[in-house]
Amino acid sequence: MSEQIALMAKGLTKSYGKVVALRGVDLQVRRGEIFGFLGPNGAGKTTTIRCLLDLIRPDGGDVQVLGLDPQVDPVAVRAQVGYLPGELSMEDNLKVEGQLRYYNDLRGNKIDWERVRQLARRLDLDLRRSIKNLSKGNKQKVGIVQALMHRPQLLLMDEPTSGLDPLMQQEVYRLLREARDDGATVFFSSHIISEVDALADRVAIIRQGVIVEEAEPQQLVQLALRRMQVRFKEAVDPTPLAAVPGITMLSQSNGMMAHLQVEGEMDGLIKALAAFPVSDFETERPSLEEIFLAYYEAEKEGN
Amino acid sequence: MFAEFKHTVRRLRGQMIGWSVGLGLYGLMMVSLFDSIVNIEGFEELMASYPPELLSFFGDSILAITTPKGYIDVYYFLYMPLIIGIFAINVGANLLVGDEEKGMLDLIMAHPVSRMALFWGRWLGFATATAVILFISWLTWVIPSGSVGLDLTWLEILRPFIPLYAILLFWGGLALLFSFFLPSARAASMTTAALLVGNFLLDGLANANDDLKAVTEYMPLHFFQGGQAITEINVNWLIGLLAAALAFSILAWLRFQRRDIRVGGEGGWSLPLLRRPSA
Repeated sequence: MSEQIALMAKGLTKSYGKVVALRGVDLQVRRGEIFGFLGPNGAGKTTTIRCLLDLIRPDGGDVQVLGLDPQVDPVAVRAQVGYLPGELSMEDNLKVEGQLRYYNDLRGNKIDWERVRQLARRLDLDLRRSIKNLSKGNKQKVGIVQALMHRPQLLLMDEPTSGLDPLMQQEVYRLLREARDDGATVFFSSHIISEVDALADRVAIIRQGVIVEEAEPQQLVQLALRRMQVRFKEAVDPTPLAAVPGITMLSQSNGMMAHLQVEGEMDGLIKALAAFPVSDFETERPSLEEIFLAYYEAEKEGN
Repeated sequence: MFAEFKHTVRRLRGQMIGWSVGLGLYGLMMVSLFDSIVNIEGFEELMASYPPELLSFFGDSILAITTPKGYIDVYYFLYMPLIIGIFAINVGANLLVGDEEKGMLDLIMAHPVSRMALFWGRWLGFATATAVILFISWLTWVIPSGSVGLDLTWLEILRPFIPLYAILLFWGGLALLFSFFLPSARAASMTTAALLVGNFLLDGLANANDDLKAVTEYMPLHFFQGGQAITEINVNWLIGLLAAALAFSILAWLRFQRRDIRVGGEGGWSLPLLRRPSA
């Protein structure tokens, strides 16, 4: 079982002084999947990733990365991981190639430089340019190249497409999918829902340092609250519908129309509607964005 | 470790060149002036006419300024811990925390390099850069010395450079240690520099005030021989300085082993009274 798990966090807690960043994060990422880590700014995405690399030490909980404990064997973990930080900063006085060669030195000069050139070509990155002259997007490309150049088993990417134009974003998606197809696991954080929706096999939503949902994007959509509008052929008393588990009556119009909120599966409602003279019904399927916003709104209300 | 060592030396090469050229030119100038200065008629009398309190600030060597040993001590070793100390403190304070503040350490440490290798690779780079600067400075005293009558052998000129190296490692190591406890590399630099300057001034004043000697004899510059090492190195003092430098560095390393790597700007201190009121 553990061989199939690329990344595991259990009860992960971390505080910065009085600020609690992680309140018990539980997470499992399977090998060979693209896992999206979704959450608003300050939810704990970056803190979680930094714990996985032993850049910061959690206050409590367990972490395993590729079957290793990052605190016990950080070098072995990092040798198999490609990391892209959210805030990318490099040496201004180096050229792109010099910066990548330094990272290659840190990896024991094991990188096939043709792979670097190939990645640079695909991302339209000039290796001869000086870091100080690069735009944010081009710096991001350097970060992506250094994360991918050693063909890591696990990619930890904090906001991988930050600063990139839409065309380049698509190229990065392709690179990440190719890495997944080659057997790598991709764990990326984002607050761009469309990105997670397009890329992730599974997704977790973190809110105030706790994972509040973990599922496939489509599952999340199915599990979410949805609204339903039912039109009847004749005036009825729709109140029995509200007695079905998971159904809430939002409003009704003279017994000819009912607005319902459905939580979970539709089966119970469909069966209950069989007793009514239904002329038409519509369901509104929420997007991942709406689900995310619903969690986010709940957070704000909680505050 | 070698990758970090190489990288550190490469990053410091600009500073190495700058300091080496500056100190080298100064050394060449002072060596070439030796002959002229010691042959100024009445120079010793002129020196003796200065107030004794002022002369005592510079120690005993000022009275022997016309001798090679006194000359090199007064014009070089007396205040080189202060001058090159700026380099040592700045590099020590920024050795790791500088990159941390710029947000570069995160990505470096995401590579398969242990905290130990990262720390000691950089420390060795700092130690090497300091040695290179001093070596070039030594050369600029040794090469022309014979032609201007500065009657000292290469070994005699080399000896005081060894305690100078030790005291620079001491201040650099202290700045490195402070950088892991104080809120920023700049705060570590400023604190260490203040201690160095304070020690330098007190050390000079203690030559005129015996009460101060009780204090300064426990301070690091008290154990720095300067030009006095031309004749013989005080091995105990040298070992003491090197041991303290190493102890600071080991404490800094132990702290680095355990601490969180901060994201740029995180974890700084601020004095509540100095906070700008919010709009």
